[in-house]
Amino acid sequence: MDNLRLPYWALCTALALAVTFVVRDPYLASIVNLISIAALVAVSLRFVMLIGELNFATAAFMGLGAYAAGAATTILHWPFALALVFGGVVAAAISIVFGYITLRTRGPYFLLIGFAFTEAVRILYSKSMALGGTSGMVGIFPPVGFDAWMPSLIMAVAAVLIFALYVLERSDFGKILTAIRDNENVARTVGLNILLCKVACFAIASFAAGIAGGLHAFANNVISPGDFSFLVAAFALAYVKVGGEDNIVGPLVGTILLVTLGSFALGLGGQEHIFYGAAIILAVLLLPDGITGLARRGYQRLAARKGH
Amino acid sequence: MSIATKARLYGFGASLGLLVAFGGAQAQETIKLGLSVPLSGAAALWGKGSEFMCNTAAEEINKAGGVKVGDKTYDFKCIAYDNKYNAAEGTKVAQTLLNRDGVKFIGGSLGTAPVQALQSLSERQGVLLFTTAWGPSIKGPKFPLTFTQMSTPFEILPPLIRYVHKANPDAKTVVLLNPNDATGQDTEAVAKKVWTETGVKILSSDFYERGTTEFQPIAARIASLKPEIVDLGTMPPADAGTVLRELDVLGWKGVKVVEVGTGVDALKVTGGKAIEDVYMGAAVIFDGPGVSDHQKAVNAKARELLHESLNSIQIGFYDSVYAIKAGIEKAQSIGPKKVGAVMPQVKFTTFYGGQIGFHGKDTYGSNQQMELPVIITQVKDGKLVELSRISASTN
Amino acid sequence: MHTAIQLILTSLQIGAVYILFSLGLTLIFGVMRIVNFAHGHLFAISALVVAYTVPLLAGWNLPALPAYLLGVVAAVAVTLVLGFLMYVFGFRYFQRDMVGSFILSIGLVLLLDGVFLKVFGGAVRPVPEILPGTVTILGAPVTAQRLALCVAAVIITALLYWAMTRTKLGKALRAVSIDHEAAMLQGVPYGRIAFAGFMIASALAALAGALIAPVTIVSPAIGADYLIKGFIAVIVGGLGSVPGAILGGLFVAAIETVGGFYFDATSATIAIFLLVIVVLLVRPKGLLGHG
Repeated sequence: MDNLRLPYWALCTALALAVTFVVRDPYLASIVNLISIAALVAVSLRFVMLIGELNFATAAFMGLGAYAAGAATTILHWPFALALVFGGVVAAAISIVFGYITLRTRGPYFLLIGFAFTEAVRILYSKSMALGGTSGMVGIFPPVGFDAWMPSLIMAVAAVLIFALYVLERSDFGKILTAIRDNENVARTVGLNILLCKVACFAIASFAAGIAGGLHAFANNVISPGDFSFLVAAFALAYVKVGGEDNIVGPLVGTILLVTLGSFALGLGGQEHIFYGAAIILAVLLLPDGITGLARRGYQRLAARKGH
Repeated sequence: MSIATKARLYGFGASLGLLVAFGGAQAQETIKLGLSVPLSGAAALWGKGSEFMCNTAAEEINKAGGVKVGDKTYDFKCIAYDNKYNAAEGTKVAQTLLNRDGVKFIGGSLGTAPVQALQSLSERQGVLLFTTAWGPSIKGPKFPLTFTQMSTPFEILPPLIRYVHKANPDAKTVVLLNPNDATGQDTEAVAKKVWTETGVKILSSDFYERGTTEFQPIAARIASLKPEIVDLGTMPPADAGTVLRELDVLGWKGVKVVEVGTGVDALKVTGGKAIEDVYMGAAVIFDGPGVSDHQKAVNAKARELLHESLNSIQIGFYDSVYAIKAGIEKAQSIGPKKVGAVMPQVKFTTFYGGQIGFHGKDTYGSNQQMELPVIITQVKDGKLVELSRISASTN
Repeated sequence: MHTAIQLILTSLQIGAVYILFSLGLTLIFGVMRIVNFAHGHLFAISALVVAYTVPLLAGWNLPALPAYLLGVVAAVAVTLVLGFLMYVFGFRYFQRDMVGSFILSIGLVLLLDGVFLKVFGGAVRPVPEILPGTVTILGAPVTAQRLALCVAAVIITALLYWAMTRTKLGKALRAVSIDHEAAMLQGVPYGRIAFAGFMIASALAALAGALIAPVTIVSPAIGADYLIKGFIAVIVGGLGSVPGAILGGLFVAAIETVGGFYFDATSATIAIFLLVIVVLLVRPKGLLGHG
């Protein structure tokens, strides 16, 4: 395992957490929550991109996590931490079955099945009266004592998981995943069980998405089927792409930028979609490698000039 | 009168004038009315009309001298954000309204999921909430600051269904169809109960996904069940019109009810002649002798903006503004908790004409429901005709 | 028996539009290897233009049918312009880049959602009845408009099929969709073929939108419902395959009709999604997919 840049990670996480301790304004706190959760979803989406697949079912697994955590809290009255982990486990368990079936397909097929699965699951929630139907599930509160510290807690959980996914990416397992992306057949000739590796990658990402869903449920206290439409995955993809996909920092940068922009766009009322859509189009047209790609190129050019 | 007295009198008058002038300068103070409504997607028009109605009421009040608390006057200002009809966006809107814009009064909110998200924040922060959402689960003594700004199935359905039954005593079977959303699910539960109590047999009760554009299979199913009544519950007018047209093609004839049908425009667009004789429980009539000039003028302006007549959902956003004004003036405070405490006792002028208050203790456990009349209408020669108006007190 | 005929007829009527819609999707995918989520908006703008121009022309005392035909011409023209803009300023840079093109199309979806709402308003648009009357086929009633729609769809599909198998452009399109590198080695100008494919797909969306406008609910949100079903149709049939799109379109329409008849509409929607997964279990490339 090569250099993990641990000091950077520790520093950035500590700084971000410090910010959440300082921020006492409830509106800013809600934005911080949005960013933490969206960043985790984006990183989860990117993790499956390591095997070269676009996982649109991310939205469905986030929803499954949210509903599982919500049901554990409101129906079963489980403690907070257990409910949260339960959300992740349910998402991962279902993703193993789903992945085992669908990961035999590739590319656009896998993308579009994920899309169909997301919509089907969403309709299933709305049919289930136990889960609150279309009105959604209410009263998913974290313990009272946590109320003030939710932004810190959510960010800490998200940071731990993002770091874990980063470590996995840099490990031998991560190298197998990218090998599958680059050439599945070569990877197979080495004697690897490709499907198993893919399902493992998928399940890990889904666990993270499920936890993100649970955090979402506890942050908002209310969830509804409409929260987990395919747009969740579409936005996560936009975060990844705008930030830059070849590096785990990319999705984080993209998330912070676009979520902040989105909160601003909310004030535009009906024009919100125009603004947000235009921002995404311009970003993919003008920044093919994302913001981090642009920054890296700028940095390299600067370094080259210094070298002379 | 001595000069000194005169001077004193003038002085008093002048200072009074100054005070008034000072007070006048303070009339700039505004009370923000937050709105959480869909401004995009299929329900965008409802949201836009709601924003329009809030603005209309606010402008009228501001022009007429604003809201008076002691010797202070306040202006109203409406701020609307897009809740996209889901809880996640509803939470964002709630955070933005309550915690960024510092809104203390929600002038109106639309969509059960986003309203639940808003309510979980507003009740905790002591913010007054007006809503069109219907579910009994969000009302009652547990939510002292939540008020409902339009009639719900609990008010509309019993008188409507009883009326339809009396007018068509031979019709003994019904098929229900509703969109698979919160309002559809709530309404279906009430409708099932009331139809059964009235002695009408329910052959089937179906749901469809919102956003559906093909209604042929649904119509074929309904026609094959051969009901004497078709009840299209809370279907949006355009969808209901399509179903009625497809049923007409299939040769089905019977009693047509769109319980929470809000208008005839979109219904006619898709339904054509097939909408003849439809009964509706939430439609508003804008032509005929009983309509005031004010109603006509506001509706004409709305039509320019929306290309559609106003419906009872949107009108709720007008009434709530007047209710908030009445509440603030009665409480003589702009504190939402104080206003909420007096709200059940206030009387205000509704858009429909006349003074109304709040009721609903029997159904919800607290008087938080606007005491609006239920207007039963029917389509005759492509136009809406009022059949019966049942005031809330006799309901 | 009567029920069976009714169901088959309904499936065919619904399927006709799904087929036109999916043909466009499958063509774009075949040639450019992109997944275009903004395809529904090409369809929507066409329906909206028809809904706008026909009442306008009817107001000038033009009879319904000529007014409608002029409306269709206008709709196809506007849609082609939008398609052209999408290609030249967007998709041209994302050929064979599924992820990039997909995000671009999501951006377009959001942008156009907002623009359509602003330009056309959210109100449902009326289109006057073009062909009044009802026809009875084997005891099952069908409106003349629906019948005309089906006939038009069959003609368009047949024309496309003929063009794909007989003309030079069609052969080039097919060659590119099977192996674009080999096709280029054979001297097929890839850029021009991709552009042609995209424009033909746009025209198909425009025709589908213009045809459905008189019989459905025309609002800016109309594209979303067809987009989801269109994609399911092409996954089932096999991405890039023209016969597959036809088969898939009919498949979705049949499940929607039969499921909606015997259960309810919501259950039918779920059934469609589940059956897709089943189909892919058996044939991961769709029923008629290749490559």
